Amino acid sequence: MEVLIIFIRIEPSSPVPIYRQIIDQIRYQIATGVLKEGDQVPSVRQLAGELAVNQNTILKVYNQLCAEKILKIERGSGTFVAAGKQNIPVAERKRIVAKLLREAAVQAIHLDVGLEQAKEQLEKEYEAIKLLKNKTGAR
Amino acid sequence: MSEPVIKIEGLRFSYGSKEVLRGVDLEVPAGSIFGFLGPNGSGKTTTIKVLLGLLKAGAGVCRIGGLDSQKDVMAVRRSVGYMAEDQQMFGWMRVEQIVRWVGSFYPGWDEKFVQELLDFLELPRKSRVKTLSKGQNSRLALLLALGHRPKVVILDDPTLGLDPIARKDFLRYVIGLLQSNQVTVFFSSHLLYEIEPVADYVAILKDGVIAKAGKTDELRQSVKKILLRGAGDIELGSIAGILDVAGIGERIALTIEDYSQAKQEAIEKASKCAIVDEVDLNLDEIFEAYIIGNRGQRVQV
Repeated sequence: MEVLIIFIRIEPSSPVPIYRQIIDQIRYQIATGVLKEGDQVPSVRQLAGELAVNQNTILKVYNQLCAEKILKIERGSGTFVAAGKQNIPVAERKRIVAKLLREAAVQAIHLDVGLEQAKEQLEKEYEAIKLLKNKTGAR
Repeated sequence: MSEPVIKIEGLRFSYGSKEVLRGVDLEVPAGSIFGFLGPNGSGKTTTIKVLLGLLKAGAGVCRIGGLDSQKDVMAVRRSVGYMAEDQQMFGWMRVEQIVRWVGSFYPGWDEKFVQELLDFLELPRKSRVKTLSKGQNSRLALLLALGHRPKVVILDDPTLGLDPIARKDFLRYVIGLLQSNQVTVFFSSHLLYEIEPVADYVAILKDGVIAKAGKTDELRQSVKKILLRGAGDIELGSIAGILDVAGIGERIALTIEDYSQAKQEAIEKASKCAIVDEVDLNLDEIFEAYIIGNRGQRVQV
């Protein structure tokens, strides 16, 4: 089976830790359908080499994504995109989203963007990503 | 944790009357990539030279791979891979000649491995050293440090003078060649953003002592910048771990290590100010706080 090349950009000047940056980008690519259930992702060694990042960092990324059932390791054959989100309890899924929305809410208040405008923006983003997913899903 | 591969205790060293190392303590775990950071002139290269037995320590103990750096100098040179800062190589030699020449000094030189490395590092065997690019030059220096298959490799500012692409390439080789084979890598640099992606651990050397050492991601989590709102003469008295204090308008920005709930309460109590924000920092900012932070305990707002 073909192993996908994952495009990941590391921003060294960001205050977001590197492992977090990689996790976020893999999550995003699964959410937008760039990575699909059953796709094989590169091995720890390959991805570490590609990104010039410590192998233990990639291992940490894969371990966390496996714990969240977003990736799964199949012994002897590699690491794959799992069914993912359906396996996370609803409460936990909500908690993850709420945490991110809190940051957005803080920014909205700081920048004086009203609740209605913010909601509208969220809807737009949501639709845009779904659209993207449908498109890539048809490949 | 198993026995550290490099252990430095109470290391002191002076050039004449100028004391450069003033009690360095350091432990490098086996199999790790260890980033050794410090501004120019902080004593990184001196530490490395003492560790290799090239300079004689004024006081303290250095052990590397179970050997005493000061007593077993030859054994250290044979078992450790070393790439010097700005390594000079004979320009008139061809790549294959210099490889053979350096190899002749090492009983454990692995010719087959070296041939593989020449291909892997994409080095032109017939070219003269002086015609190599900077990137090729540093890859050749790396190869010369690895030919005897050391389990510990010391790289003194190996990416100095490389452009960003050659630098990333070099780090890629460090990960692919060394980490994959469980080689311990001790790597000095003055560029924190370069160290962060590759290092399991980092230590910051400042004024001849280790200002901070720890796991790379823990360092990042433990140091925060907090903003306090207040006015007047503020006394931070007993708060430990303040790295930098700055007044910005009616606010005080405090960079602080080992930040926790308890510390947060202590700060609010001591300063009689409310914490209005808490900011994550990138490693460069953390580095800066350790190196040039204003450690005052009082601030006028």
